[in-house]
Amino acid sequence: MLTALGLAVGVALVVVVNAVASGIDRAQQEVLQPLTGVGTDMTVARPLNTSGEGADPFTGLSAAERARLLEEARRGLGLDLRSFAPGQRIDTQGFVAASQLSFPQSRVAAIAREPGVETTAGSLTLDAVRVEGTIPESGLAGARGPGGDIQFDRRSVTGVDVTMPDLGEVTADQVTSGRFFDAARPRARDAILSTAYANANNLRVGATVTLGGADFTVIGISSAPLGGTPSDAYVPLATLQQVADYGNKVTKVLVRVTSVDEVDAVAARVEEGFPGAEVTTASDLAATVGGSLDDAQAISTTLGTILIIVGLVAAVLIATLLTLSSVSKRTRELGTLKSVGWSPGQLVRQVSGEATVQGLIGGIIGALVGVAVAFALNSANWTLEATVQAQEVAGEPGRGGGPFGLGTPSEVSEAIAITTDPSLSVALLAVALAVAGGLLAGLVGGVRAARLRPASALRSAD
Amino acid sequence: MAHDEQRRNPLIRVSSVTKSYGSGRGRVEALRGVDLTILDGEIVAIVGQSGSGKTTLLQLLGAVDVPSSGTVEVAGHDVGAMRERDLTGFRRSVVGFVFQHFNLIPTLSAYQNVAAAAVNGATGDDDADPIAALLDQVGLGGRMDHRPAELSGGEQQRVAIARALVNDPQVILADEPTGNLDTETGREVLELLTGVADSRQRTLVLITHDDRVADAAQRVITIRDGLIVEE
Repeated sequence: MLTALGLAVGVALVVVVNAVASGIDRAQQEVLQPLTGVGTDMTVARPLNTSGEGADPFTGLSAAERARLLEEARRGLGLDLRSFAPGQRIDTQGFVAASQLSFPQSRVAAIAREPGVETTAGSLTLDAVRVEGTIPESGLAGARGPGGDIQFDRRSVTGVDVTMPDLGEVTADQVTSGRFFDAARPRARDAILSTAYANANNLRVGATVTLGGADFTVIGISSAPLGGTPSDAYVPLATLQQVADYGNKVTKVLVRVTSVDEVDAVAARVEEGFPGAEVTTASDLAATVGGSLDDAQAISTTLGTILIIVGLVAAVLIATLLTLSSVSKRTRELGTLKSVGWSPGQLVRQVSGEATVQGLIGGIIGALVGVAVAFALNSANWTLEATVQAQEVAGEPGRGGGPFGLGTPSEVSEAIAITTDPSLSVALLAVALAVAGGLLAGLVGGVRAARLRPASALRSAD
Repeated sequence: MAHDEQRRNPLIRVSSVTKSYGSGRGRVEALRGVDLTILDGEIVAIVGQSGSGKTTLLQLLGAVDVPSSGTVEVAGHDVGAMRERDLTGFRRSVVGFVFQHFNLIPTLSAYQNVAAAAVNGATGDDDADPIAALLDQVGLGGRMDHRPAELSGGEQQRVAIARALVNDPQVILADEPTGNLDTETGREVLELLTGVADSRQRTLVLITHDDRVADAAQRVITIRDGLIVEE
């Protein structure tokens, strides 16, 4: 029975380590899922190339990007930022580019035609901005400095493809209150708000919210993802394109590939065919996850694997030693069997059969203990901290950022509960390995038993 | 008796057999040149002090050991010349062992202990089951499902006798069969052994210290310091 217990320890170790590793993997997926969007394998965007340093929002922009951005600002707000005069009174609102340059919506279909791509969805993220105040003597650059009294009210708004409820910047699964957009009968002025924005402005489902001068009816509230770039509001893509005068323009393409193996190849093809585009895959996002969760995952994938292998090898070795010990203790019995006509093969089969049964018993006991320990760990409410590098939402107090959404990266952290859900297939595999271990131990012990000289065995007994 | 012996053929021939253990200064000469002939159906007692070599001789007869020199021939088989496969078959069907300490498998029932030695295993059919019949013959018909720990010493030795007989061997080798039993139980076991050997006309070789056991034999051989000194 000691053989069974030795193998049980090994099997329990395998089940627990695997359950913990799976729990950590799931926790990381939980962190990554909001970053990528449900069912999204990669995103394609044209981020503004800024340094993020200093008050000048245009630092680091190329001449072409700066001109493009100024043109979008002029068009969105009806202002020419280059023609402001000191003392000029401003009071305007509209939509301007956020942290990404727009590009033609035809890219969405073009990317969809790439080999390995299952489907795509376009989105347009803009800032609904209200600018109010008087241009100071120092000009626009000093508007927020000494003497400046210009107020920027900024809300990020994303237009989503309402026909794709499971692929987008916001998905039906993320709606915690109210409902998602009705794809069959879309209403142009429906909006879904982020929980943070809705709470900050005391907005509920059914309320009216003004975005860039246009009124929308709140139909749902969505949960805030960890470390993502949540918008304050989500509206139908066509509506945002219309009210912001961004006809047939998007700022991001969300891509789902046919196979995980295709991700890298598709990303390379998209980047090659779309100059200036930046493709972000789930693995890129995984690299932004840090904290104890990341440390634990590194441990679980390396140390966990080592622990499983060492545990199994140790269990089989222990089982073998215990089986050999059992053979030594049963010298008299085995010698007697040989003296009454048992062949060496019969002895090997007997000893290995017993050890295999013990392996099965030990495996089942170990699996049950492992499952029990894994569930017991859940009751301990074990959490790990996930730290994700995120884009700040521009224009909000404490979240930094200058005009046009040119925020600087910062870190957000969240405690992620680790739920160890033991795998039935792993438990069954561990039991099978225990049986194999028992068989191996039994064969070693059986061969030793078969080599016993019956006269010596009987003499030692007496 | 003389007439019977004339009719019987020699079943066991031991010629110039030596058996030694160890080497160098630790070498022990258990048998130093033994010659012995035992007839078919004969009941022979081998007596001698501890360490005289009688158990070694019995083990050579049962092919659980091989002689260092000389020949041991049992029922036409040269024990020293047989390969492992032949030795297994010989131990299974030509000889049956009864041990002083019974040597039953503690985890098996009386029936299973006998079945473990049976060439054809158990039939499972009570009416035609030779193992059940054998256990019934040795007086354990009602205790076949009991494990050794649940049986008395005498009952355990009866199981061991049934195990020795299960393949109907030509030779029954009993090493101190009553040595672990009280006088009365020993007498009953001895009667059972000799009775079975007599009724089946099988050769029985007994090793004993007990004069009463020796008295039950047709022939008594005394062995001392590895040599037969008296017949």
